[in-house]
Amino acid sequence: MVANHDIDITVRRGTVHALVGENGAGKSTLMKILYGMQKPDEGTITLDGEQVSLSSPADAISRGIGMVHQHFMLADNLTVLENVVLGAEKLHGIGGGARRKILEISQAYHLNVRPDVLVEELGVADRQRVEILKVLYRGARTLILDEPTAVLVPQEVDALFDNLRELKAEGLTVIFISHKLGEVLSVADDITVIRRGTTVASVHPSETSPKQLAELMVGSELPTPETRESTVTDTAMLRVVDLNLSATDSDGVCRTVLDGIGFTIHKGEVLGVAGVEGNGQAELVEAIMGIRDPDGGEIVLDTDDISHAPTRTRRESGIGYIPEDRHRHALLLESPLWENRMLGHVTEKPNSGRFLLNLKGARQDTERIVREYDVRTPGIEVTAASLSGGNQQKLIVGREMSHRPKLLIAAHPTRGVDVGAQAQIWDQIREARREGLAVLLISADLDELIGLSDTLRVMYRGRLVADADPATITPEELGSAMTGAASGHLEHHPESPESVQDDEHVQDDEHVQGNEAPEDGESR
Amino acid sequence: MRPVTKLAAAVTATAALVLTTAACGESSTESGSDKGVGLAFDVGGRDDHSFNESAARGVDKAKEELGVDAKMMTAKNNETEADREQRLTSLANAGYNPVIGVGFSYGKSIAKVAKKFPDTTFGVVDSVAEGKNVDSMLFSEHEGSYLAGVAAAMKTKTDSVGFIGGVDNALIQKFEAGFVQGVKDTNSKIKVRSEYLYPNNDKGFNDPAAAKEKAQGWLDDDVDVIYTAAGQSGAGSIEAIGAKKGTWAIGVDSDQYQQPGLAKYKDSILTSVVKNVDIAVFDLVKSVQDEKPITGEQRYTLKEDGVSLSESGGFLKDIQKDLDKVAKDIADGKVKVSERPSR
Amino acid sequence: MNAVRRVNREKLLLQLGAPLLAILAALVITSVILATTGGDPFRAYSVMIEFGFKSDSQIWIINKAIPYFLAAVAVAVGFRMKLFNIGVDGQYRLAAFCAAALGGAVAFPSFIQIPLMILTAMFVGAIWSGIAGLLKATRGVSEVVSTIMLNFIAASLIGYLIQENRLGVVEGNLTHTENIPESGHFFEISTGQEPIGGFVIVAVLVGVVYWLVLNRSRFGFDLRAVGGSHSAAEASGVNVKRMVVSSMLLSGLFAGLVGMPTLLGESHNYGTDFPEGIGFTGIAIALLGRNHPVGMALAALLWGFLERTGTQLEFEGYSQEIIGVMQGVIVFCVVIAYEVVRRYGLKLQQRKVGEELAAEARAKSSNEAGASA
Repeated sequence: MVANHDIDITVRRGTVHALVGENGAGKSTLMKILYGMQKPDEGTITLDGEQVSLSSPADAISRGIGMVHQHFMLADNLTVLENVVLGAEKLHGIGGGARRKILEISQAYHLNVRPDVLVEELGVADRQRVEILKVLYRGARTLILDEPTAVLVPQEVDALFDNLRELKAEGLTVIFISHKLGEVLSVADDITVIRRGTTVASVHPSETSPKQLAELMVGSELPTPETRESTVTDTAMLRVVDLNLSATDSDGVCRTVLDGIGFTIHKGEVLGVAGVEGNGQAELVEAIMGIRDPDGGEIVLDTDDISHAPTRTRRESGIGYIPEDRHRHALLLESPLWENRMLGHVTEKPNSGRFLLNLKGARQDTERIVREYDVRTPGIEVTAASLSGGNQQKLIVGREMSHRPKLLIAAHPTRGVDVGAQAQIWDQIREARREGLAVLLISADLDELIGLSDTLRVMYRGRLVADADPATITPEELGSAMTGAASGHLEHHPESPESVQDDEHVQDDEHVQGNEAPEDGESR
Repeated sequence: MRPVTKLAAAVTATAALVLTTAACGESSTESGSDKGVGLAFDVGGRDDHSFNESAARGVDKAKEELGVDAKMMTAKNNETEADREQRLTSLANAGYNPVIGVGFSYGKSIAKVAKKFPDTTFGVVDSVAEGKNVDSMLFSEHEGSYLAGVAAAMKTKTDSVGFIGGVDNALIQKFEAGFVQGVKDTNSKIKVRSEYLYPNNDKGFNDPAAAKEKAQGWLDDDVDVIYTAAGQSGAGSIEAIGAKKGTWAIGVDSDQYQQPGLAKYKDSILTSVVKNVDIAVFDLVKSVQDEKPITGEQRYTLKEDGVSLSESGGFLKDIQKDLDKVAKDIADGKVKVSERPSR
Repeated sequence: MNAVRRVNREKLLLQLGAPLLAILAALVITSVILATTGGDPFRAYSVMIEFGFKSDSQIWIINKAIPYFLAAVAVAVGFRMKLFNIGVDGQYRLAAFCAAALGGAVAFPSFIQIPLMILTAMFVGAIWSGIAGLLKATRGVSEVVSTIMLNFIAASLIGYLIQENRLGVVEGNLTHTENIPESGHFFEISTGQEPIGGFVIVAVLVGVVYWLVLNRSRFGFDLRAVGGSHSAAEASGVNVKRMVVSSMLLSGLFAGLVGMPTLLGESHNYGTDFPEGIGFTGIAIALLGRNHPVGMALAALLWGFLERTGTQLEFEGYSQEIIGVMQGVIVFCVVIAYEVVRRYGLKLQQRKVGEELAAEARAKSSNEAGASA
């Protein structure tokens, strides 16, 4: 496998070892090798002084290596207990023995797992704890966590880190994959940086800064950012008035998913919407894109009422769309890049004439996007599936930007994207904004939201419940509003009066201010 | 042009080339010498327990008595004219004489192929095909079915009998017409049901499961004599009837009581309307051997023993006299049996 | 640029590899079956090849392949968007029946009569498949179920209408629609032996139109996008529901043509002996031909070849079922081989991309090293 070459990594027992690197740098491949899902072409793995060869996950598990995947592998309609014993029935049976063992583990590491609850009733953080427990139940002494914080709000991240410290205290080893450098610095004992399939550095958190780490990851000095200047104009580009939408969920119950949503985005403005996933953000995006037809309310783009216009018309009249789930909504995975370049813009130049496609035009323009947006690919004939996540996203951004949109809807535009690509995407959005682009930004990455937005709104249970000034708000304050604890205009309180905060946040605040915010001067 | 398209073009061109050059080559149409009887079966094949088997019996007899050779081929489901023509052509080509198509579906193709082989005699069962060298063998199924109807009427205890046809076409309607008339002429109070498995698909002759299902439904509804004219499908209804005591099946085409495949149910087979295809086939083979080939429409009626009721099992003994009388009436023309059902 | 070409060549090899692999596997399996049932497989193949390539066999095969190809195209339109039109069979039969009934009732000069019948057939085919499309788009009824049901309804409808006193005429044991006048007969290409049906030209045109519409038109792109990913197509602005209906309509239009070579060139009426089941054969051929017009044409010819030589095999003393087995095994192998090759190809490509990037990275880092040194 050439995705990785010359990887040297030594993990000390009883530590949290962070593995950082851009997407496509080879982290996932390395993890797969360690977990026995893939065999290395050469090189050795030594475990507790003994050289081992791992040929399957079962092998890895039997040697005490467990993995918590980024996408949870739980059966929704089973209880926690059932999920944990599934496939490991031989260990402690499926009845009382298993329950005792689960509770024992849960208490030992303060996981607070309730064995008899259905998994579908659990939140994201709880599910993650179930995954961790599942791995521990199988006797793992080394845990691999793949991007565990991607789906969590700050408070949940803290709780997770507490759990990790408990594990460490009990002598377990944790390998922690992330590209959120602030988190890495706060929880890791050792850090290994991977770039393009090679370990480029092993550093100690106390001896480095997020900026240095980021530069190690990207392999060059990061561009210095522009100073923050408002580009917001008075011309409204998107006006949403009293938007209502109800949907029937899987149980056949009709629920209101959007309730009286109203906002205006001006030319040159980025409106950020914060919220825990599942509070109506996806539905809001789909209503604006015309994928869902609203029950009531108005959507006005520029001067046209597009409340019930078909998606294609909306796209043609200038809405660019970076969807949340690029695999499901933005790509034809098994089609070549140039066909993906046409997706969503097949009726526009250079992709087609009146009826027929213009393959030559599309191919040439794809070459241009690949060049200008730095999509790393051997060519435009490869399928979209063979690119790494970050490169896929760069292609999507390039495609959407190539049609000079008036409004860009960006849902989690940098999720699962490496630092280098992240910076590029941010730059692109910012640049387009300066030229008068209006952006609706949905993100779970609060730093991104705060850094990029001109205006912030918080969405909770289908309503916009709060707004905040990105210049002063902190992720923690935003986070608590996202859980419904605060509403109205959020003021920044330097003393952080909210009870959910603890002393860890001193450290968090530091790196947020100093390094992670994309808009912030020092870090970029 | 992209390579994929290029290649596609190249492949097409080559294919076309192979085709045209080879087309100048030899054709498969080259005559052989006299080899014996060529028999092309309808769907169901030799062992359909029905008229294919009857035809095969005629050929077997010819083999034994006249010492001729024979080749038998079978049709598939969902055939087209082209397939049938090819089969007949292959046989004629190889020098078989006569070439006989068993079943009306060979009607058109026999006529067409016969034209190409004027020196070969062709025979077709159950259909009229044009051509100087064609023997069209027709049977008076309606007359035999009339007798079956009389027997059914005399044997039913529930006063309810039924007819299952394989495919709703003119040929099978003859069976229905005779049977219904026979029942009604004997006892007009008896309820007769008649249904077909398929409106216009030859699969009806090759779908025992469908026949079984239909028969089962009727049995549950107290029908106690069922006459099935559906080629191989008939085995299905006989199976269903065999499972219920006191009910009777009437078979068709061959004496189904004698058939090894149905031995398990033979005590439920009241009688069979035998279509003596074997006689017709043997006649044709013999005539060709004698170099006086039979051609034109040949009708095999009750009078000529072309159709009859089988007696094996002896279940008809008690009513044999009545049946003989009716048979005589038909032969004498006293009773006219209709070929079309009065629906 | 080089890389692009290499990827392309690889793609091509993979595309060709799958059917070849499948046919090879099928040959091995049938050989084993033949051998275990007491036949000599090699003699069987030599009989097949010798007989199948004779000139009259070739004509026979081409004529046989025309409807198969048309049916495959009809099926392929659905396949391209992951829609399973199992109802091509009912569609073409009802279409041919209606065209025959109309053609038997009127007598226009050829240039009106023939297009009138063909258009009628396409229209009826489209209506019949459109019902399934509408049901799917509005009520979410699986097209597999509805098209199968519509097959039965079509058969019953024809069975009802073809009776005497309705639209049928009895001739011997057959019932058929009124014969089409001379002006409704399609031209033939004479070869010195049996003629080749003129519909072969229509079939070629259909292949070209199919390829153009699917691969070169905006409509075709939308259709393929839906096939590639429902959700991505929807987000890209394709009205998926409308697309379901239009592609079913398109499929039905092609399906309407399937019965035409027989009707216009051979039988000149729709009778109880009109060929059935071609729609299902079309499914196998579309699978085998990978939904590509050239592939499907070759597959249709292969099918004709197998049927032509199957009768000959029976003549040579092999059981006729062996051809059915062979056909089944080929389709089976093809489906497996395509999936295997597809996965392999995807993996290979990912690997290639990884390799390429790693090489690039190495080059860059060694450059950097060189520069700093």
